[in-house]
Amino acid sequence: MTAAPSDLLCELLAQSLSAWHVSGEVRRESGSAILISGGGRQILVEPAPPGLPFRWHVTVDDRKRPAISVVAVLRQTREALDPGYATQRVRVAAFPLVLT
Amino acid sequence: MIEALILTGFLGSGKTTLLGRLLRRPEFSRTAVIINEFGEIGLDHELIEASEDSLIELQTGCLCCKIRNDLATTIHDLLRRRDEGTVAPFTRLVIETSGLADPAPVLQTLMTDAAIAARVVLGGIVTTVDAVNGADTLDREEISAKQAAVADRLLLTKTDLASPPPALMLRLKELNATAPVLIARHGEIDAHDLCNGPLYDPLTRSVDVRSWLGSAPTHEHHHGHDGIDTFALVRSEPLRAVTLTLFLEAIAEHCGADLLRLKGIVNILESPERPAVIHGVQHVFHPPTWLPGWPSGDRQSRLIFIVRGIPRRWVEALLATLDAEVAEVSASMSS
Repeated sequence: MTAAPSDLLCELLAQSLSAWHVSGEVRRESGSAILISGGGRQILVEPAPPGLPFRWHVTVDDRKRPAISVVAVLRQTREALDPGYATQRVRVAAFPLVLT
Repeated sequence: MIEALILTGFLGSGKTTLLGRLLRRPEFSRTAVIINEFGEIGLDHELIEASEDSLIELQTGCLCCKIRNDLATTIHDLLRRRDEGTVAPFTRLVIETSGLADPAPVLQTLMTDAAIAARVVLGGIVTTVDAVNGADTLDREEISAKQAAVADRLLLTKTDLASPPPALMLRLKELNATAPVLIARHGEIDAHDLCNGPLYDPLTRSVDVRSWLGSAPTHEHHHGHDGIDTFALVRSEPLRAVTLTLFLEAIAEHCGADLLRLKGIVNILESPERPAVIHGVQHVFHPPTWLPGWPSGDRQSRLIFIVRGIPRRWVEALLATLDAEVAEVSASMSS
């Protein structure tokens, strides 16, 4: 993994805290790891080693879980920081908007 | 297909007057009407003089909450009766919401009920706004702002009593920069302007994307207590299909009810000549529609967000991050 996704993810997580109204901070750690402090918790997001079928590891309270993509990182982070958060999955309508 | 028009607007904004006038027009002669009234005894249906072929169904309660399922049941019943020949073969369905209704659940019902969606296509949302009291109502009543924000057409009523104040026009532009603002005089409006193809044109059976997207706002508007913002993301580089899928998934998951509406045309890397049209209401999205070609020479992706309390910077950061991740995975798989 190059540094670009980590840099962008760091910015996204910082914006996410603001969007979720969670006070805290996001900072880069050694390598490409990202440390999130908020809501009395610390969350470490690290790129997964090459060869694994997922992209990230998310550690919350010493429990390390894989995250297949940025979407999964966001979900796990929010679940840890935002107790009132209820996951709402996308629902696809029965038919397209218009006929073509 | 039967075209559905959702007519919404705050209490006293002139929906029923408008509907009564429309139903006298020959263009609306094959129209079925569902009126949703809030209260124990409905009166609005008594105020409408329907033409011979029109049909009125009445529900009491509020479409957006306790009788949402009743809307689907009512439409199913109408379609069944149409098939049986016990009602006129209507080609248009007008759903007048109560003045206190959130139109989003009504949209979702039309989008997600397979039997309805197979026969009823969303023609658009028309929101009436009172030229006399509209500005105060928009400031005071959050649901009024939401009704205006999700509209495909905004219709100013009571303009015979007062000219629309500039502050109201500005407010409407802030809430919904993409919807044309039409003016009704004594409840009269050109039916062509009101109904022709904001979302669906029955003649061409297609979406008029340019009209639908309108003039996309280039900057974020911030509002008062309702917190409703509208902004557009414009992007020159094509998006991978996977990126768009992940983006919509994350938007739906994290924004939920605060995503009032998302509509757009997207340049997909894997389909450069056939752009995708996307449309979502809260966490419900239509499957992308692939246009036969670009509607103009502008091949930029344009995504228009109408949201409540969702920062534009978060949306931009999300798209940029997903784009980078998918690009990196794609590159690693092809190397």
